[in-house]
Amino acid sequence: MSGQNKPSRFQNPTGFIVVAVVSATLVVAFGLGFLILPRYQESRAPFSTKDTLYHALGFHIHGKGFNTIQPTLKVPTYIAWTETTIQHATAGDRKGGELIATNCTACHGEKGLSSQPWIPSLAGLDRLVQYKQLDDFRSGTRLSGPMSAIAQSLTPQQYADVSAYFASLPGLPEDRGERAPRAGSSYRNSDPVRRLIYAGDPKRGIAACASCHGPGGYRIGAPALARQNELYLEQQLQAFAQGTRANDMDMPMRTIAGALTDSEIRALAHAYAIENAKGP
Amino acid sequence: MEHSKALSLAHLWTAFLCFLPAVGLGFWQMLMRSPLPAPVDDPNVYYASVTAHGSIMAYVFPTFFAMGFGYAIAVSALGRPLQGEKWAWVGYALSLIGTVMALVPVAAGRSSVLYTFYPPLVGSPWYYLGLALVIIGSYFWIALMVVNFRTWKRENPGKPVPLAMFAITACAILWGWTALGAVSEVLFQILPVTFGWSHTIDAGLARTLFSVTLHAIVYFWLLPAYIAYYTLMPQAAGGRLYSDTMGRITFILFLVFSIPVGLHHLFMDPEHGAGFKFVQSVLTFMVALPTLLTVFTITASLEIAGRVRGGKGLFGWIRALPWEEPMVLAVGLSLLLLGPGGFGGLINMSYAMNAMIHNTSWVTAHFHLIFGGAVVIVYFAIAYELWPRLTGRPLFSKRLADIQLWLWFWGILITTIPWHIVGLMGQPRRYAIFDYSDPEVAKTAFLVILSVIGGCIVIGSVLLFFYVLVRSNLAPVAESMPPIRYALSVNPPATVPALLNGFGLWNVILLALVLIAYGYPIGQFFFLHNQNAPAYSLTRGITK
Repeated sequence: MSGQNKPSRFQNPTGFIVVAVVSATLVVAFGLGFLILPRYQESRAPFSTKDTLYHALGFHIHGKGFNTIQPTLKVPTYIAWTETTIQHATAGDRKGGELIATNCTACHGEKGLSSQPWIPSLAGLDRLVQYKQLDDFRSGTRLSGPMSAIAQSLTPQQYADVSAYFASLPGLPEDRGERAPRAGSSYRNSDPVRRLIYAGDPKRGIAACASCHGPGGYRIGAPALARQNELYLEQQLQAFAQGTRANDMDMPMRTIAGALTDSEIRALAHAYAIENAKGP
Repeated sequence: MEHSKALSLAHLWTAFLCFLPAVGLGFWQMLMRSPLPAPVDDPNVYYASVTAHGSIMAYVFPTFFAMGFGYAIAVSALGRPLQGEKWAWVGYALSLIGTVMALVPVAAGRSSVLYTFYPPLVGSPWYYLGLALVIIGSYFWIALMVVNFRTWKRENPGKPVPLAMFAITACAILWGWTALGAVSEVLFQILPVTFGWSHTIDAGLARTLFSVTLHAIVYFWLLPAYIAYYTLMPQAAGGRLYSDTMGRITFILFLVFSIPVGLHHLFMDPEHGAGFKFVQSVLTFMVALPTLLTVFTITASLEIAGRVRGGKGLFGWIRALPWEEPMVLAVGLSLLLLGPGGFGGLINMSYAMNAMIHNTSWVTAHFHLIFGGAVVIVYFAIAYELWPRLTGRPLFSKRLADIQLWLWFWGILITTIPWHIVGLMGQPRRYAIFDYSDPEVAKTAFLVILSVIGGCIVIGSVLLFFYVLVRSNLAPVAESMPPIRYALSVNPPATVPALLNGFGLWNVILLALVLIAYGYPIGQFFFLHNQNAPAYSLTRGITK
């Protein structure tokens, strides 16, 4: 085996053996994983070898034959956060939006700051949030007489424009999903409202408000709530709780508001209304 | 060992100086999750902290350690100056800059995405760029290991490459291949979003690419410890290595089998079918082989040393071993930790059993037991071994070093065993806070507090480690310091088959296996399942 000449495969079969062992392992693994085990895996095992292979590759072919009777489609919103929607919703023209906004000032305030406690302020509100709500008013998944009429009279491009305008106004504190670290944002805090805002209540399936609505948390399509009008917040929570507002994707708000007590709803609305970006 | 001392020392100091605060963060995280009072109890800070802890412990600390150890091996095992030392410093600088770049946005709370990134979650681009720079710096090291390996082979035709150099080169090549997964995830999936060129991430593809790195990275952490097992410990124990060949086979097996197994981190993910998950589960069992070989070889080597020292009988050799030697003690304790750690790993990699423990504290406990326990305890011993050689100053106290290792051993056990149990009880991982007024959660309170006590011991051990190092550094330079010696094997090989003296064929097998195991799982995203999801910016930089 020594010497200058390269030993032949027969003199030094190690490399050959190695490749053979690795290949054998692969054959066994693929045979078990793709042909044999799938037949015993599901409650309804695949019928044919083709089915078996499809199953192992991750095509879910079963179930297509079922559910031929579909329930009526009822969706909470027609907005989905796809690349196209996000691009469209964030590509608004602020100048164009300013013109459209003249229709809004009567209720939402001269500079997007509403003085009527049941109407939300819009100044500084995230563009995606405004865009989604306008589309929901248009499609009727969120109900409001005046807003539905207004939204139906605007085009999606105008939604983006007017959202860009209000988002650029100073008003509601800008919440970029950041805040200074602060002790007492856990279950160790004795204040039940702050516990709800920052830690939630998992026993009742309530997520922390702040993880989507700030301060210090952000979720696409969820509005920052700091300094929003108190009565508006309270009414929306009540509407979610009773199901009269139902345009929340995956229904987090209906679930959470439904689990809150009346006094908690009032206390949360109050806490957010008096809050600044740094938190209550 | 005259050469490149400053180079190795700079790497090792950087590694441990990053390690120190990361341990502190880890301890605070345990407090946060416990019913005990915790300062600054803010979940946002928790996630920033976990990101910093994980990024340092997974990328920064082991990378600097392996680089420093690698350069020391290249110089001392090959007995020649390091070729390309200038480039090594360039790599060091890049990795150091990358570390700062990555950690500043984390500290600012702008990149709390955890070290595994979790797309479609996205944080500050500086975080990803920083980590990429850490990895790019380490590629200089990989290249230098390969270059020095080949130069030595060319200058010493027919001679077996010293096992330590062979092994650290295997480690470097493994890291070179496997890091490509995370790097391509960052380059092609995450950075385009953070720069605003795209608003969506294919979460399935991104997770799959990361899984290419996610498992083999643990072998990148582990191999330096195994190198000490094979080459430093038998020497410190006054014996010989049982088999040089077994060592070579072990490192080759790690190189070949650690990458095409990463899907076992995605058993519960919907983007892959059961077939490839099963295949990679089988391949993962193959990667348990080199560890079993190692346990056998190292125990045999310990027995040789014990019997040379006069140990008799079935177990007498164990008592005859020089347990006062930090390297021997560390390897012994490491083997003990490897036992429960390894068997826990077998559960994680089993396609069916994994479902029981998936995303529970069991998993966190497992990798802390293996990496924190079995691996880092040997890093300490390597430091005790190398420091006197690199600084020329004798170790301050072997006795304190031994106490430190014992504290670490017990600390890690007391931390991780309760963790495993609460994991089985269903405690999820990655949660910042638990509501202990919930009776289901309250059941875990005692065990969680117990593991915090383990954490206190770990903190004590780390402080002692730094005390020993700093005191050693303050001592006067000794007149002569014996050079680092690597263990001879019982039958030192005069020649070894070419296959066991290089990596040519093994790289080919590795790539073939990766292609077979990952070709379809990655390829499917390009022609079958597009899983684009809107990127979730932690901060609003993207959408506003």
